[in-house]
Amino acid sequence: MAETTHSDNGAGVGIDLSQFYQVFFEEAGENLDKMEQLLLTLDLDTADDEELNAVFRCAHSIKGGAATFGFADVAELTHQMETLLDKLRRHELQPTPAMVDVLLASGDALRSQLARHQGAEGDAYDTTELLFNIRAMSSGEAPLTPVAAYVAPAPAPAVAKPEPKVEAAPEVRPIPAASTADTPFRPKATPDVRLIEVQVGPLADVKQADSLVELFQEITDLGTIEPLDAGREADGMRRFKILTNSSDGDLLDLFSFHVARDKVKLLPLGPGYGFHAGAPGAPPPEEPSNDPGYGFFADAPGLPSNAAPVHHPDGQIVGGPAPTSAAAAAAESASLRRVAKPTAKADKPASTAALESSTLRVSVEKVDQLINLVGELVITQAMLAQNSNGVDMAVHQQLAAGLADLERNTRDLQESVMSIRMIPMSMVFSRFPRMLRDLAAKLGKKVELVTQGEATELDKGLVEKITDPLTHLVRNSCDHGIEMPADRVARGKPEQGTITLVASHQGGSIMIEVRDDGRGLSREKLLKKAREKGIDAPDSMSDSDVWNLIFAPGFSTAEEVTDVSGRGVGMDVVKKNITALGGTVEIDSAEGYGMKVSVRLPLTLAIMDGMSIGVGDECYIVPLASVVESFQIQPGMIKTIGGSGRVVEVRKEYMPVIDLEQVFHVPRFDFEHHGGIMVVVEAEGGRVALLVDELLGQQQVVVKNLEANYRRVEDISGATIMGDGRVALILDVGSLVRHSRH
Amino acid sequence: MQSILAVDDSASMRQMVSFTLKNAGYSVTEAVDGQDALEKSGQKDYDLVLTDQNMPRLDGIGLTKRLRDNPKFRGTPILILTTESSDQMKQAGRAAGATGWLVKPFDPAKLIEVIGKVMR
Repeated sequence: MAETTHSDNGAGVGIDLSQFYQVFFEEAGENLDKMEQLLLTLDLDTADDEELNAVFRCAHSIKGGAATFGFADVAELTHQMETLLDKLRRHELQPTPAMVDVLLASGDALRSQLARHQGAEGDAYDTTELLFNIRAMSSGEAPLTPVAAYVAPAPAPAVAKPEPKVEAAPEVRPIPAASTADTPFRPKATPDVRLIEVQVGPLADVKQADSLVELFQEITDLGTIEPLDAGREADGMRRFKILTNSSDGDLLDLFSFHVARDKVKLLPLGPGYGFHAGAPGAPPPEEPSNDPGYGFFADAPGLPSNAAPVHHPDGQIVGGPAPTSAAAAAAESASLRRVAKPTAKADKPASTAALESSTLRVSVEKVDQLINLVGELVITQAMLAQNSNGVDMAVHQQLAAGLADLERNTRDLQESVMSIRMIPMSMVFSRFPRMLRDLAAKLGKKVELVTQGEATELDKGLVEKITDPLTHLVRNSCDHGIEMPADRVARGKPEQGTITLVASHQGGSIMIEVRDDGRGLSREKLLKKAREKGIDAPDSMSDSDVWNLIFAPGFSTAEEVTDVSGRGVGMDVVKKNITALGGTVEIDSAEGYGMKVSVRLPLTLAIMDGMSIGVGDECYIVPLASVVESFQIQPGMIKTIGGSGRVVEVRKEYMPVIDLEQVFHVPRFDFEHHGGIMVVVEAEGGRVALLVDELLGQQQVVVKNLEANYRRVEDISGATIMGDGRVALILDVGSLVRHSRH
Repeated sequence: MQSILAVDDSASMRQMVSFTLKNAGYSVTEAVDGQDALEKSGQKDYDLVLTDQNMPRLDGIGLTKRLRDNPKFRGTPILILTTESSDQMKQAGRAAGATGWLVKPFDPAKLIEVIGKVMR
């Protein structure tokens, strides 16, 4: 946190709390994530105290900050959650699934509220029902309505944007006053929420005052009320602590419906602190006041030597012995400069504080600029390497050594820079437990989610783009794959279905699998459906081709369209999105046993390993990941079938031949080196042999987007600049394979 | 300069408290929970300990008890920040040897005011 200078007013307290908003938002977000995670893994029957305490602490921590920084709506909701959680951790109530639902829904509501406080657009979240339900549960009643189906209209919270912390703070703005109609509270930039004490009485029947508590339950805008009585009802007086932002006049008007106005007294809840009589450090006497909100204990250590008796709310008299802190004061000046610096944070790697000082928030733009520059450096290095080919290295040994170093360092630098953008797959996976839980509940299914390889890292850009397709696949598995519990039992499967998400590195790509142990794909159904849709689907189709049918546009295997998946836009969009990322999708399935969708993605979109090939005078790049093998053509290997199609036989397997010269209409001037080499490439579950003139080498290429700089070209996924400055086109192998099929 | 050990598991509260105190001319050491505070308490002396009550690992009451066991902190003022001002909470604070309490939420001016009462 950067130090902002403030004009000292009096005691030096003219502090603008808004400078802490951003930290609070981030912290609240972390607490919400943690709470959700804890709730999702909470075993209701065996929940131990530590788990319940941890959930409680999340709500408690958010509440404390929200109240301090003036976000009254957040404070109100977390206060109610805290009350319920407090009863749970004290075992006064037994946790139920409905409670978990309400708490999860409250978490969504809080996210939405926090997002609005950060300036996100969108309607205010109506928490009336939630508050009612939590209160009902806290008092041991059943909720009014089922709560599982809350969907947060949460606008994307601004906190996700990596912004420099301090600069971001001024963007935080309170909700405009126009929204007050549907916002329980009107949060202000400065805290407007006050703690006051309400004294009612003397009353003939002290229970009369309970109607005030009910009032607060009915009108959630009012704030919160807590009894302060502590067994002092005998005097006919009732005392309450109220957290509210309503004016005294409004409160008195409301209360006068229930108790005579002259019997209600509103008192500032003292200074909000207190000292224990006799406690060490307790101050000199004070004006008597009702619970000032603070106090000193008598006889406690730390009292100053001049401490004289002070009135204390507990009826004790403060006037403790004087402790000697002279030694402390003496030691202070020596050790102060050395220790008092906030270096302490680095001590605990596990704590958030430690994380704060060991990480640095940088905008994505800066990182992307760095990556671009490294890309240029890679090109320059390749250019130097190429130019040095003509130099006699025996003569220029130092130059050769320098170039070798440059190549190694460039590659290391590139890897380091790329790793900045890498984030773990857990960022994607973490959203699924909650989603599946809600979905399974909605569908009446029982599903367990197993994730593996969460630490696998992937480029940030890819993570953002793969989230939607993966979400769709997981939804699909739950909706169409996993059977109803009764059906599963009838088939001899465990009642609870399992969806497994696995991420792993495989060479230069990342493999993400979505597996389920559901009903699997039915070959017969798919073929029947394909024919109904007018798709050519002979019985002789291989299994993998049949499975691939579900990627056909508009193909949905569900007999009934549900609102979960199967809206017609489905697997074809998934496949399109993944293909656009340079990835592939494969399906494997066994009817009755489940299915597996494997998504293979490049690790990054910016730089890839390529094989450069020559066709005529042109140079093309084939992504190395898709190259299977290459060989020289022997006479008789290529056979012509049908009309114009040609195939090549490789180890008794026939595959289509694609003559790049024809595909790209490459002009040819040299007929001597014509098409002597085959490069076998694989994509989308199929193999083709590319007919090329020569293999030029392997190198890393910096991918430049052709669409952004020129226009989309069929069979080409991008372009790159070669070491000699020429532009080479990068082949879209998936597209070539698809074309070979038709 | 008088020094204060500020203990809170919430980063935003900790920063607010720390900033407020520094602004008022105190030297501040932050600790992220009771356990952390305990470790830091051994490294130097403090004129005041300001601690949140509800924290993981070691809470405010627990920290107070442990600090009072240390002769160095026998006479140091210890204030507990708490959202509940119930008698039960006060009794627990008192039994642990706390000097006083301060109810959350409080604004920076209130914090300085209360601290001014115990700091000489």
